[in-house]
Amino acid sequence: MNRPSHIYPVALALLAVLLLAGCSGGVHATTWTTLLLHDGTLYVADLEQVRALDAETGQETWAFPATPDLRQYGPFYTVTLLNDELLLVTSYERTGGGFFARSQGVLRALSLNGGRLAWPQPFTAGGEFIAPGAAGDGIFVIGNSDGNVYGLRIDDGTLVWQYPTRGRVWATPLIISDTVYIASLDHRLYALDLQTGALRWQFQAGSAMADRPLVLTDTLYIGSFDHNLYALRLTDGTEVWRFTGANWFWGTPASDGSRLYAADVNGNVYALDAATGQEIWRSRVQGTVRLGPALSPDGKRLLIASENGTLFGLDTADGFVLWQQAGQGQLGSMAIGGERVYVTRVNAPQRVQAFYVENGRPVWSYPAQQQ
Amino acid sequence: MWDLLILNPMVNLLLLFYRLLGHQTVLAITALTLVVRLAVLPLTLKQQQSARRMQELQPELAKLQKKYADDKEKLAQEQMKLYREAGMNPLGGCLPLLIQLPLLYGLWQAIMRTLAVSPLDLVRLSQNVYSFIPGLASLIPLQSRFLWMDLGQPDPYYVLPILVVVTSWLSQKILTPPSTDPQSRAMNQQMLIMMPLMFGFISISYASGLSIYFIISNLVTLLQYFVTPKPQPVPAGAAEAPKEPERPKEAERPKERPPQPARRKRGRR
Repeated sequence: MNRPSHIYPVALALLAVLLLAGCSGGVHATTWTTLLLHDGTLYVADLEQVRALDAETGQETWAFPATPDLRQYGPFYTVTLLNDELLLVTSYERTGGGFFARSQGVLRALSLNGGRLAWPQPFTAGGEFIAPGAAGDGIFVIGNSDGNVYGLRIDDGTLVWQYPTRGRVWATPLIISDTVYIASLDHRLYALDLQTGALRWQFQAGSAMADRPLVLTDTLYIGSFDHNLYALRLTDGTEVWRFTGANWFWGTPASDGSRLYAADVNGNVYALDAATGQEIWRSRVQGTVRLGPALSPDGKRLLIASENGTLFGLDTADGFVLWQQAGQGQLGSMAIGGERVYVTRVNAPQRVQAFYVENGRPVWSYPAQQQ
Repeated sequence: MWDLLILNPMVNLLLLFYRLLGHQTVLAITALTLVVRLAVLPLTLKQQQSARRMQELQPELAKLQKKYADDKEKLAQEQMKLYREAGMNPLGGCLPLLIQLPLLYGLWQAIMRTLAVSPLDLVRLSQNVYSFIPGLASLIPLQSRFLWMDLGQPDPYYVLPILVVVTSWLSQKILTPPSTDPQSRAMNQQMLIMMPLMFGFISISYASGLSIYFIISNLVTLLQYFVTPKPQPVPAGAAEAPKEPERPKEAERPKERPPQPARRKRGRR
């Protein structure tokens, strides 16, 4: 029997298995990374590590863990500011080994100063934590892909309450006074008691809602995959008006107090009257838009991030595209501080970048681009 | 172009099945798998027929290889002559397979895309759903709970991966033609083990909705095998295929193994 000749198909099958194994391992981003700006420092979850970067220069102040260790910690996706001392980070960690490995979402509290672990034990949940949480009155609230909303004690991370929804919870909660507003992919927006997690009211849209609502005085604004942007009464969730766009609304709208700015996933950007939902202007950018727009502090520039990695600067007066800055990967999150906008990218060599809001010129990148 | 022609129609068909079948994801995946397998059935049969005829020529080809072992050029000429006389193209089985593969890959991709396991997948799905069909967006995300499973995650109890391995082995077993050539026989034996294990590994690693697709697809293959009319035996040593192109089963030659209809070389999905 001439063994080598018929070993080829088997070798090919083995190669296919190994390739598939390779596809399911390593730093494989399943969602976007996030950042936040606090007191001149950027805190970034950039898959391998959580980093504190000087917002002025992009220089790293500290990183957790000190050296990347994906086997122990898994990829880091979100950061949330708990208070002036603590930062909460989420990762998706694998337990077990080989074919039988399973993943779970893990929450850790880190000190802002130095990135040291602050809770005695991390908090774990069955699914991935996709979006950052929110903190208020001693309670930290976060949604999980396992369908639950969790309320944890900020001091030590112990579970205070949990509220089950019928879908994955990929949205950041909004906390106002003693109420948590959080959307679920089960088509509902829930208003929960911050201290107990008890349901106060719920609003059902025509499809899923995947991001945080925006609040202006006594009205909540939230987009849905049913192509509608809804204005709801804060106290009971009654619909005030709805605006129908061309495709899904995913990201949180932005507002200057009187106007709303929102983008649908087709790249249509809308300026609406916040009181009535009347369209003021409509513009268009290239690419799929998932992230909500960001408004410059002076209200003159509207920044739109597309999934193809391009950042656009629009004139808020009429929606004219003033500049665009292309880049690799997908844009994960945006934060505006003064005259700069900071973004995270996934699937790109530059994971964090700073640009001037006015003209889109790059300021710095992390890691720094090689000359 | 791929999205426009293959992926988008399949994604939207899956969503329509989901709506028609009472928001049951497993039923929608089953229906789409059946429709796609039905669509490629003429190609599957043509490929099987070509494989059978090639199998029938094996004794003659073996004789030629023995006769012209030292003259490759003459061997090639004689082989081509034999193919011509038998009225077949030696690559005739490849074309149907090549046409089927994109459709079957599209089906796999549509299932994974529609299950939208991760946020990045869900954003991509937004570009695949037809806006002109009212109400499709309201179906998203699909109901992912089925029995003890989240169809967007691997089966935690490994029931589906085991079923995938068993059904893959069965379909591979019945589709592997008996061979007189020791090399081919050894290769077939190894493939019979490797392919089910590979699909089992994929099932352990990926969304269990995909395992449902594997299982349905294997069951369709088995069903197709058992409902197709059985071949009539022909005398041993018959080199040429009977001139009955629509007859779906191969004539069987006596061998050391129990008589078994010869089908195509590989199991596909």
